Amino acid sequence: MKIDVEKSLLWTATGAFLLFAVGAVLTTVVPPMVNPEMWTTEHTVHEYTEQEKRGIAIYKSEGCVYCHTQQIRDLESDQRRYGWRLVNAPVSSSWEYVNDRYNFLGTKRTGPDLARVGGKYSSEWHWAHFKDPRNMGEKFPNRKGIYEKVSIMPSFDYLTDEEIKDLTAYIQTLGRNKNWRVNAEGQPLNDYEK
Amino acid sequence: MKQDTAAKMMIISACAFFGLALTMGILTALKFVVPTVGDIEYLSMPRLRMLHTNINLFGWLLQANMGILFWILPRILHTKLFSEKLGVAMGILYNLTMIGGLIGIATGHVKNVEYGEIPSPFDYLVAVCWVMFFINVVGTVAIRKVKYLYVTVWYTLGAVIWTTFVYITGNMLSQMPMVDGTNQANLIWFYVHNAVGLIFTPLGVAIAYYLIPKQLNTPIYSHKLSMIGFWVISFVYVWTGAHHMIHGPSPHWLQTVSIIFSFSLIIPVMAVITNFFGTFATAPRGTRMNGPIPKLLMMGTVYYIFTCLQGPFQAIRSVNEITSKTDWVVGHAHMALFGAFSYYAMAGVYYVAPKLAGRKLYSEKLGDLHFWIMTLASVPFFAVLWIGGVIQGFAWLNPEITFVQSLEALKHAHWMRFFSGAFIFGAYFLFFYNIMQTFFGKYREEDEAEAVVAE
Repeated sequence: MKIDVEKSLLWTATGAFLLFAVGAVLTTVVPPMVNPEMWTTEHTVHEYTEQEKRGIAIYKSEGCVYCHTQQIRDLESDQRRYGWRLVNAPVSSSWEYVNDRYNFLGTKRTGPDLARVGGKYSSEWHWAHFKDPRNMGEKFPNRKGIYEKVSIMPSFDYLTDEEIKDLTAYIQTLGRNKNWRVNAEGQPLNDYEK
Repeated sequence: MKQDTAAKMMIISACAFFGLALTMGILTALKFVVPTVGDIEYLSMPRLRMLHTNINLFGWLLQANMGILFWILPRILHTKLFSEKLGVAMGILYNLTMIGGLIGIATGHVKNVEYGEIPSPFDYLVAVCWVMFFINVVGTVAIRKVKYLYVTVWYTLGAVIWTTFVYITGNMLSQMPMVDGTNQANLIWFYVHNAVGLIFTPLGVAIAYYLIPKQLNTPIYSHKLSMIGFWVISFVYVWTGAHHMIHGPSPHWLQTVSIIFSFSLIIPVMAVITNFFGTFATAPRGTRMNGPIPKLLMMGTVYYIFTCLQGPFQAIRSVNEITSKTDWVVGHAHMALFGAFSYYAMAGVYYVAPKLAGRKLYSEKLGDLHFWIMTLASVPFFAVLWIGGVIQGFAWLNPEITFVQSLEALKHAHWMRFFSGAFIFGAYFLFFYNIMQTFFGKYREEDEAEAVVAE
């Protein structure tokens, strides 16, 4: 039997589907099967509290991910830039995200990456920064001279006080699944600014 | 029901949505330079960005493509649309869904899916509309009066089949309770990239495959290239989603696979482009660039080359290290969806609108003016995004430069984007006015007699 694909609706459609299906299955279904660390792990991973979950919902609806990624890529430049006081930030691993019901890995950095930001700034700092990123008040003067002037982050003044607290609670958890910052005695540091 | 009602309705509402999308775009660009403008919740920069992408993709581009294909498919297949009623019902439902979904986004009810922020139940309704479109496309092909299926039909069939799976994976499966972390990210990027690659690429190319030979009144350059382009793209495109996570926390083998296939995309793209340019080259010289339609098709093809050469190269690990996460990516995405596929869609609207209205285009000159302003503005628009992206990429390599310093360096680029964007926005109104006049406007009496042309 000679099949003339170009005359047949059935053959064109089936052919297009089958060729597509090979790649579709191998890139969506197969990866979590051969790489279980994409969804499960034996490491201890932070379980989000109710407050932090509310913070996640705000992070999602405010679209933070469109300017802030959450991944330290396997690049020296990422590790240095998002490290802390000469300690390189560890590269993000798949297992760190297994409890993230909503992932915010992101594709665009209009602002800095937030994967390891938890604990870097005090919650008070975040409060002032959400209120007005360009004028954080007397308590947080321009440390490097240009900070407040050139930031283009929107002000999230319209969030209620409770909402800002929830959002901050979530942000303070980021990157803590790897204890990478320790004090002189080797104890993990939780709030570095204090 | 009157023939082509669905096509007419969808094309008109798509053109209106296009204006809304560009408004969101220009506001976003303004917020990059003056962040305090419109400092309220519903106009915050991320919300505007989500509205900008969703209105462009679904309100304008997808709807325009569907409308144009509702007109083209019956012509190629020498038949009527399978069901005009189904088409109209789908058009109405689709537009109501869009409005609902966009209100959802503006009020912060969003999914964490880029390009798929439209919340449920509206995303499910989009899927319902898609099934209705699917039935109409397959039905029209089934009742055709010609034996052979032309390239446009292959691509349309491919798009309706692939998109069904791509859309459901990205919008529904990725939100299932057991899907989280990097596994979810992988499904979402499968959707994001294939939304461009397996929805807008095949639909845009399908329209160009019809319009270029038709408009130039010459046969398509090579049938063999058409076949290579189609069958290779159906195999190759779907693998590339993971290139959004190069160097990131996703399996290394998956990244490598996506890089190899991203690079392989050069094959189908060059097949399509050689075919288009070949057709242009063999058309009669004197008249082949008359009016806005061939110009838009030509420029769309040029932008298609650029964006499809960028894609393979920026997927290479060492190039990706510089370009990824910067403004470069924004420039790349704009050139694909605005430069290539919106140009094809505008050409399609210019071609189909007069046919639907039963008279000539209101003004060819205005169409030319629209083309030139938009094109001359889009070149610096894309260029500053790439240049800015490279500046950003190299600045991030240097630990001496703080993040805000790298942002400050882009101030001029962001101003330039705003101004060139403003010209694009302005040119849109010439397009919109021209189309609306063609449909509803009054022609001068002496023109009227000449303008009424039988289809």
